Amino acid sequence: MDAGERGGVSAALLPRDEAELVAAVAAAAAAGTPLALEGGGTKAGIGRPAQAERSLSTRELTGITLYEPSEMVIGARSGTPVALVEATLAERGQMLPFEPMDYRPLLGSEAEPTMGGVVGANLSGPRRVVAGACRDSLIGVRMVNGRGEAVTSGGRVMKNVTGLDLVKGVCGSWGTLAAFSEVTFKVLPTPETSATLVLHGLDDARAIKALSAGLGSPFEVSAAAHLPGTVERVPKTLLRLEGFADSVAYRAGRLRALLAPYGSSALLEAAQSAVLWRSIRDVTFLAEPRGEAIWRVSVAPSRAAAGVAAILDAAPARHLYDWGGGLVWLALPAAGDAGAAVVRAAFAGTGAHATLVRAPAEIRAVVDVFEPPAAPVRRLTAGIKASFDPRGIFNPGRMYAGI
Amino acid sequence: MSAIQFPAPDASILSRRAEIVAALARLVAPESLVTSEDELRAFETDALTAYRRMPLAVVLPSTTEEVAAVLRACHAMGVNVVPRGAGTSLCGGAIPQEDAVVLGLGKMNRVLDVGFADRTMRVQAGITNLSISAAVGAEGFFYAPDPSSQLACTIGGNIAMNSGGAHCLKYGVTTNNILGVRMVLVDGTIVDIGGDAMDAPGYDLLGLVVGSEGQLGVVTEATVRILPLAEGARPVLFGFDTSEQAGAAVAAIIGAGIVPVAMEFMDKPAIEICEAFAKAGYPLDVEALLIIEVEGSDAEMDAALARIVAIAREHGVRTVRESKSAMETAAIWKGRKSAFGATGRVADYICMDGTIPTGQLPLVLRRMDEIVKSYGLRVANVFHAGDGNLHPLIMYDVNDPEEARKAEDAGNDILKLCVEVGGCLTGEHGVGIEKRDLMRHQFTQADLDQQMRVRAVFDHGWRLNPAKVFPLDGRWTPASEAA
Amino acid sequence: MQTRFSPEQLRDPAMQASEKILRTCVHCGFCTATCPTYLLLGDELDSPRGRIYLIKDMLENGRPATPQVVKHIDRCLSCLSCMTTCPSGVHYMHLVDHARSYIEATYERPWHDRLLRRVLGALLPHPTRFRFALLAAYFGRPLKPLLRPIPAIGARLAAMLDLAPSRIEPRSTMEGPAAFRPAAPRRARVALLSGCAQPVLKPSINDATIRLLNRLGVEVVLPKGEGCCGALVHHMGREHDSHAFAARNVEAWVREMDGEGLDAIVITASGCGTTIKDYGFMFRDDPAMAEKAARVSALAMDVTEFLAKLDLPATARATGHVVAYHSACSMQHGQKITDLPKTLLKAAGFVVKDVPEGHICCGSAGVYNILQPEIAGQLRERKVANIARTRPQVIATGNIGCIQQIGKGLADAGNPTPIVHTVELLDWAHGGPMPDALAEAGFADQPERAPAVAAE
Repeated sequence: MDAGERGGVSAALLPRDEAELVAAVAAAAAAGTPLALEGGGTKAGIGRPAQAERSLSTRELTGITLYEPSEMVIGARSGTPVALVEATLAERGQMLPFEPMDYRPLLGSEAEPTMGGVVGANLSGPRRVVAGACRDSLIGVRMVNGRGEAVTSGGRVMKNVTGLDLVKGVCGSWGTLAAFSEVTFKVLPTPETSATLVLHGLDDARAIKALSAGLGSPFEVSAAAHLPGTVERVPKTLLRLEGFADSVAYRAGRLRALLAPYGSSALLEAAQSAVLWRSIRDVTFLAEPRGEAIWRVSVAPSRAAAGVAAILDAAPARHLYDWGGGLVWLALPAAGDAGAAVVRAAFAGTGAHATLVRAPAEIRAVVDVFEPPAAPVRRLTAGIKASFDPRGIFNPGRMYAGI
Repeated sequence: MSAIQFPAPDASILSRRAEIVAALARLVAPESLVTSEDELRAFETDALTAYRRMPLAVVLPSTTEEVAAVLRACHAMGVNVVPRGAGTSLCGGAIPQEDAVVLGLGKMNRVLDVGFADRTMRVQAGITNLSISAAVGAEGFFYAPDPSSQLACTIGGNIAMNSGGAHCLKYGVTTNNILGVRMVLVDGTIVDIGGDAMDAPGYDLLGLVVGSEGQLGVVTEATVRILPLAEGARPVLFGFDTSEQAGAAVAAIIGAGIVPVAMEFMDKPAIEICEAFAKAGYPLDVEALLIIEVEGSDAEMDAALARIVAIAREHGVRTVRESKSAMETAAIWKGRKSAFGATGRVADYICMDGTIPTGQLPLVLRRMDEIVKSYGLRVANVFHAGDGNLHPLIMYDVNDPEEARKAEDAGNDILKLCVEVGGCLTGEHGVGIEKRDLMRHQFTQADLDQQMRVRAVFDHGWRLNPAKVFPLDGRWTPASEAA
Repeated sequence: MQTRFSPEQLRDPAMQASEKILRTCVHCGFCTATCPTYLLLGDELDSPRGRIYLIKDMLENGRPATPQVVKHIDRCLSCLSCMTTCPSGVHYMHLVDHARSYIEATYERPWHDRLLRRVLGALLPHPTRFRFALLAAYFGRPLKPLLRPIPAIGARLAAMLDLAPSRIEPRSTMEGPAAFRPAAPRRARVALLSGCAQPVLKPSINDATIRLLNRLGVEVVLPKGEGCCGALVHHMGREHDSHAFAARNVEAWVREMDGEGLDAIVITASGCGTTIKDYGFMFRDDPAMAEKAARVSALAMDVTEFLAKLDLPATARATGHVVAYHSACSMQHGQKITDLPKTLLKAAGFVVKDVPEGHICCGSAGVYNILQPEIAGQLRERKVANIARTRPQVIATGNIGCIQQIGKGLADAGNPTPIVHTVELLDWAHGGPMPDALAEAGFADQPERAPAVAAE
């Protein structure tokens, strides 16, 4: 096994199977060579600038390894393009439940996002409110830890509590704990149709109240977002319904009646609805101008609007809400600290946490890209890093300095 | 049964018992400390009663701070701690050790805060699963994971075991419904993990804690997601002449793009046992029963059921009976959820919890039957058909040591079969002591080492619930790594 | 569960019965969730599963009961909520009864505990003595602040005085032995249990029962020789005394059964009903009594069970009041009568509300509220608060103990809602006088309707 050393010494390591992946990592571990782990590299701009000597990409570890539609399970090698998995599922009327966002529009990156990348970033999308994030659908991972050992956690069955749930531990670890070899997900049938209820002209606080009312109703709202005045001429408050056509029609009627106190509403049909939610999923509203910094804030919905108001008072920001107000996307000028002090102060004490998703590397090198953890959590975080990757060869410093 | 070994108690701890008890007595009120032999006896086991160990002492703290004080003291004295919720574990997850203090959370059973707008709720870890739903039911909400023992089991125990339930086909298991915990680490440090936002920052520590079987820390509070109740819910009974037909119907329903809220399977012995207790109107003249529940408005349920019934007919369903009232619905679920306990009317039993790919169902059902028969025992099967989580109840006489050993061997054979066909040892009950020694059938040493290394980040001295989950031999410690 | 009894131990029929019960238990823990004391105390030792374990250990080892075991068994209300919950069918009642008599036989209680139990056992089952004691309590009330601080017994004495009514009811004009014949043609003949404490505390309950049954064409007989059912001493573990009471009743009723005949033995206190329905089990090993006791148990019925068998006519007056129905533990758990009383009340025009947490005991439980005043007090407050959530105009229940206990809780909370026996409301609706408690609460009586006539 030549560990994929094709293209010269400093070029990316491109293992083609798990054995090559193991060998490549083991060699790096032995030499103490820090590696930038990536799939397609489309999210390489997120995080603190990597301090790696070489990159190791799983993009040649491709192929669907398991697909049983009647068991609602799909497995793929980590470098398999997301697009291939989604197309394969679509052929059988199924989908990834968590609606993973595509960061390319926001980050201006190209290449193919991979399933491993989806796991590394714990992606999700508007359906997060009912179907959870990647972590909630991920049921099995084969990976290589920083010692160069192949490790399996989880499997191919939906319910599995055998041993410690390392699947969750590595999901969203941004390539700092392990290099993924294969990932397995539970999937869901694609809804027959969808529709979106649109309320107009609500301010942020009232819009979030409307979204909460919808999400707290029995009508199975599968996505709830608000596009405020900073991104739309007339603010739009959006609630998506999915399912069998007769059921969607019924629930749309009931939801309209429930939300009547928030003004009259319009109904978008499936095709329009799909385009709109794709834009919300990928945050295309904030993609331009490219020079702006992008923040992603996760917060309890009832505390979102006040935090945003404080930011708008302090800085020229644009924003939108997904997850019923539980996810705030913000665009701020990329000067200075890219708004870090303003954003974090605005949400201080609310239990929210902010991630700087897009900013020039110089800024990401000096501000906390990920919310700095409290002391005991930081100790645990450092310990977990060391337990997987004792020599610190995977994406060192990408999430936190020294981890 | 005696096949499963416990570590030999630490004689130096036993000899210091008086000193340890005195130290604990300084930390909690007298009624929160159990030390007499008579009283300790009641804590010697959980719902896996074939195994029993007397604890050194039992502490029943009332606050997170008391939990922290007790853990700090035990840490300082080098004493092991076994956390306990309601003691309903079927895998021995709460069984004590002679040299360990049991930390019971029964007194911490309050709701702390409800946020309807955010659909979250903060509760103490000792509250029962069902009490969470009961507290918000009038406002139209519920907590989704519904293990069959939900009446009695605590949220703390659910978090420890990542409990599932009949309705997790649609709503997910515990790990999908918890947003944050307050937890006390082995040295008494209080730490908040996650919170009330959907995504938590940094590594998914919460994901590691859920399902860690009380080995990473003692959870004292949890922030859970609450969901709006559906407009209506209707379970329907489908009786089949063969298990194969029922299994094929399940696969076809999912294949048709329908994911019911719940799909539960019972075989004939289980039907008879549950019907005798719950009088739910289960058909007694069929070999296999599916309970399929749909939700929504009446029209939505009618539409969904029409699709499901059509598929069931294609697979030769013999009887179809819809619940006609809330009382019938309650009886149908009461029967299913009491299946384990109701089996107690017939015989002693051990309950397995393996999960298999649902496509393997016919094969596994046949093999299980052969396995149990080869030991001369009987089995009743209930399981979550939608996700392949099996609960064969192997019946035996616990007062007959020979039969008890056979039952345990049969159970082990079944679990090995589950792993062979691509499944796992435990879907929702946890490893505990019961499946501890089978872990190497599912995992390589490297897999287990990585788990144990992560475990050691939280508890490097193996103080928390140490006899569980990982085989007693070949345990990873910082020292074993250095060696 | 695994058990370890020797063949010698199992020669004792009581031990044999308990062993069988213990074998049924699978230690699943469901019962903990619906146990009132576990709910309050959060200690498994104060739950059914914990107690079963304590009992098992005590019986298996054949050792005298220890103070620790006694403490937790004493805290059991015998509400039997656990039996409703238990999927395995563990007969906790028989097990805890056995444990109580075992404790009584092997354990020496502190002097004050013995004294109090002896006093209660000597007073309550005997109406004349009890009436006299209430009178004494009435005059003793001012002493309460002095009693409470007395160590060991103060709280219990105070609780006893607290429960004594502030008014001593005059003796009923319908006391037995007697037979009350209906004006209408006789359709059935029943014996009514006079009981012991109830006719002293609330003679109105049996008065209402006799009136209502007579009106429905049922002859009611209060035979000579019957009295306390034995439950009060039974729950204190005094098997010998309880069997003596029970035997007297069995003889009295069998005489009637074999004489003019009985269609039912009607009981208006569900606590007594649970015990009388268990006479058959109590005397199962007594050749002289077994058959007679079984016949009595088979004929025993709560008054609502008997009323449900009769075809009740339309009510005599309009009702429509909102009634919170409190199901006594002995009714719902002991006798498994859950819907019948509510159905009767609804049929009589009342709007019936279920009490939240209705499966949890009010803390009365025989003399529990005197022996365990602290726990009983907490349960009482909880119950009164839960009842108040239904915003009732009146509370109905089928057990005298609950009436006294909840009545005390209502008074403490300054809640003026009256509490009456179900049968008092039914009697009123069907033409009887308005229950005193309602009149005192300022209810306007409803005029009697003209008898219903066929369609015009």
